[in-house]
Amino acid sequence: MREITYLEAVREAMSQEMRINEDVFIMGEDIGVYGGAFGVTRGMIEEFGPERVRITPISEAAIAGASVGAAMTGMRPIMELQFSDFITIAMDQLVNQAAKNRYMFGGKGKVPMVVRTPSGSGTGAAAQHTQSLEAWVAHVPGLKVVQPSTAYDAKGLLKAAMDDDNPVVFYEHKLLYKASGEVPEEQYSIPLGVADVKREGTDVTIVATAIMVHKALEAAAELEKEGISVEVIDPRTLVPLDTETIIKSVKKTGKCIVVHEAVKFGGFGGEIASIIAESEAFDYLDAPIRRLGALWIPMPYHPEMEKAAIPQVPDIIQAVKDTVAFR
Amino acid sequence: MATEVFMPKLSMTMETGTILQWFKQEGDEVEEGDLLLEVMTDKINIEVEAYASGTLLKTYYEENAVVPVQAIIGYIGNEGENVPDAAPPVEGASEAPAPVALEEETEETAEAATEYQANGEKVRATPAAKRLAKDKNVSLQEVSGRGANGRIHKVDVEEFVKSGPKATPLAKKVAAGNGVDLACVQGTGANGKITKGDVLGAGSTQQVAAPTSEPRRVKMDGMRKVIADRMCQSAYTAPHVTMGTEVDMTNAIQVRNALLPIIEKETGYRLSYTEIIMKAVAYALRKHPEINVSLEGDYIVYKNEINTGLAVSVPNGLLVPVVKNADQKGLAALTAECKELGRAARESKLLPANMQGGTFTISNVGMYEVDMFTPIINQPESAILGVGRIAEKAIGVNGELKLRPMMTLSLSFDHRIIDGSPAAAFLQTVKRSLEEPYQLLV
Repeated sequence: MREITYLEAVREAMSQEMRINEDVFIMGEDIGVYGGAFGVTRGMIEEFGPERVRITPISEAAIAGASVGAAMTGMRPIMELQFSDFITIAMDQLVNQAAKNRYMFGGKGKVPMVVRTPSGSGTGAAAQHTQSLEAWVAHVPGLKVVQPSTAYDAKGLLKAAMDDDNPVVFYEHKLLYKASGEVPEEQYSIPLGVADVKREGTDVTIVATAIMVHKALEAAAELEKEGISVEVIDPRTLVPLDTETIIKSVKKTGKCIVVHEAVKFGGFGGEIASIIAESEAFDYLDAPIRRLGALWIPMPYHPEMEKAAIPQVPDIIQAVKDTVAFR
Repeated sequence: MATEVFMPKLSMTMETGTILQWFKQEGDEVEEGDLLLEVMTDKINIEVEAYASGTLLKTYYEENAVVPVQAIIGYIGNEGENVPDAAPPVEGASEAPAPVALEEETEETAEAATEYQANGEKVRATPAAKRLAKDKNVSLQEVSGRGANGRIHKVDVEEFVKSGPKATPLAKKVAAGNGVDLACVQGTGANGKITKGDVLGAGSTQQVAAPTSEPRRVKMDGMRKVIADRMCQSAYTAPHVTMGTEVDMTNAIQVRNALLPIIEKETGYRLSYTEIIMKAVAYALRKHPEINVSLEGDYIVYKNEINTGLAVSVPNGLLVPVVKNADQKGLAALTAECKELGRAARESKLLPANMQGGTFTISNVGMYEVDMFTPIINQPESAILGVGRIAEKAIGVNGELKLRPMMTLSLSFDHRIIDGSPAAAFLQTVKRSLEEPYQLLV
C-alpha cells in the first residue's frame, strides 16, 4: 500500500469528503494560500475555492460560533484552530452551544461539526502553544474527543468525525504531521469509540494516547529484549471511550500504565485509571496502576526542558520495570 | 449470664494482641484462674487466665488472629446459654473506633482477622493476590510479599501454594521447637493443613528429610518483625556514630573476684562483669546527664531516672529487659535483678513493665571472641554501649610492655542530639571507673 504522511491523510480525508458532500466546508485562520499554521489545507483553496475554504478573522470565538450556527442550519462545517491552546477562546461556543443545543432543543436541531486542531509540544513553541487540553473538552457531555496517533487512524477517524451528527473535537499532534504510514486511497471510516491494540503483550498494559502511542511502542520494543511483553492500547477516541478493550487487556496482564502528554494532575489518565479500578479488572490488578504525564508546570520554551517536562521513552521503560518488579 | 472474655490491655501502649494459642477449646470446662489462652503483644507472650468459671461457650478468633484490646474474644458461662454467633463490637468505640470487620457477620470477621499481620498492620496485597488467596484458601498472613512495603503479589501466593506443607502457626512453633521437618509431616487439618497433633505424632518417626534444592523460606514471626522494624527505624532516622575505647580490666577483675563469694552468699547469684559494667555505666550517666536523653519531636528530654536495658539473646530474637534506677542499686541487687530478668526473658515470661522505660542499653557479646562492634541504638534511647570480650593484650605501661586483660567498649550514640565530645567524655568516665572501680564507691 502507498505511504503518506499524517498531515496528508488529514487533508485527503477532508478533500475526498468535500468532493462528494457539498455541505462540508472548512473555516479557519490563514487556511487559504498559506495552507494554515502547519500547511494541512495547502492546495485546498485552489481546488474548492474561497466559498468552501473560508479564511476568517483572528477570532476563535467567531469561528466556533459561526460553525455552530452553520451546523445547526444544515451545513457540516470543519473549523481549524491554529493551535489547540486557543480552544480556550472558543470554549463558550463549544461548551455552552455546540455541546448543548441538540439536547436543549429536544433533538430537533443537531450540531454536526468538527473542530480540527493541533496540540502537543516538541516544537519549542513555549507555554501558550504546546498544551494538551483534551481533558477539558472530554469532561463536557455532548462533545466527542478524538486523538489519532497514525496516518491511517487520522484519515479513518476524520471521516467518522465528519459523518457524526455531533460536535467532534479532533486533536492532531504537531509532531505526528510528518509521520508516514500506509493509508488506503479510497475513503474509509473508523468508528469512534473503538480502541486499537497497537501491540499485543502479556505482562503489562500500556494505555497511551497520541504521540505517546509511538513512545510506548518504542519502549515495548526495548523491553521485549529483556523478556518483558508489553501490550500497547491506543484508545484513539477519549469520548466515546472503549473501556471494554482496556479492561479486557488489564484483566489479561494484571498491570497497567497510562501515558499521555497532558499534565498528569487532573489529566485524562486519572479517568482511565479510575475506570479500571471500578471495573471487573480490579480483582486482576497485581500492581498499582501508574500514570505518566507532563509535570505540573507551564511548558518550558527551552527544547531540553520541554523534553524533560513530558514522559519520554526511558521514563516509560522505567515505569514498566518498576511495575513488573513490584516496586 | 455468660461472662465475656476480653483481649486484655497488657500495657499502656498496647492496641492489639495476637492470639498465639487457646489452652481451652469451645466446650471445655474452665475454672477461674485456669490458663485460657496465650497472647503476644509487641515482643512478649503472656498467658491469660480465666476470670470466671464455667464452660468456654465460644471463641471468636483463631490462633494467630490480631485483635484490638478490649474486644470480646469469647464467652464463659453455663452450657446451653445463648451467646452471639459473631464477635460483638468493641465497647466504648468512640475512643478508638473498632475495626469495621468486628461488626460484620462471623465469616467476614474471621476473614478480616486474617488480614492483619502479627504486628497489627493490615496485610498489603494486590487485588489479584487476594483473589487467588481466596480461591486457594490461603491465609495472606502466612505469605511473604516481594513488593514495596512487603506487598503480596499474585506470584507470591502462587509460590506459597507451591511451596508445600501448610501448617497452623502453633504446629510450626512446635515443629521448630522439636526439630521436626514439616515437609515430612502428613497434615490432617482442612486442606491437608498440618496441626500440632500431626507434628507431635510425627516427632517419633521423624526421618531425615531428603535435601532439596529449594532454600528454606521462613515467614518472619511477630518478634522478628518488630525487631526488623525497630532496627530500620533506628538505623534510618538516627545518624549513628560509634566510638571505641580499650579498658584495662585488671582492677575490675580483682573487684569481681573479691565480691563474687559475698554476693553469691547473699543472693544466690554469681556476679558477672555485666553487672560491674552496668554499675559503671549508671555512675557515668549520672555524671553525664546529656547522654541519658531522648528526642521527642523538637525537644531533647533529659531523663530523671537511669534505667539501663540489658540485651538478652533468646532463641528466636532478642529482648531488652530494663533494670530501673540502676544508679541507686548496689552490685548485689543488680546481680539478682539482671539474672532474674535474663531468665524471665529466655523463658518468655517478661512482663511489659519489665521492658519499658529504658534510658540506655548495654549489649554484651563478651562471651564470644568479639572485640568491637557497632551496636544500633534502642530507640527512643539515644546511646548504647557494646561490650566485647576480655582478652590479654600487650600494652605499654610506664615505658614497659605488659600483658593486661583488655576489653573494648563500643559506644553508639544518636548524633542528632549528642555531640562527639560529650559522648567521648562519657565513654572515658565509664573506662576510668572500670579501671579504678573504687570510684564507684564514692
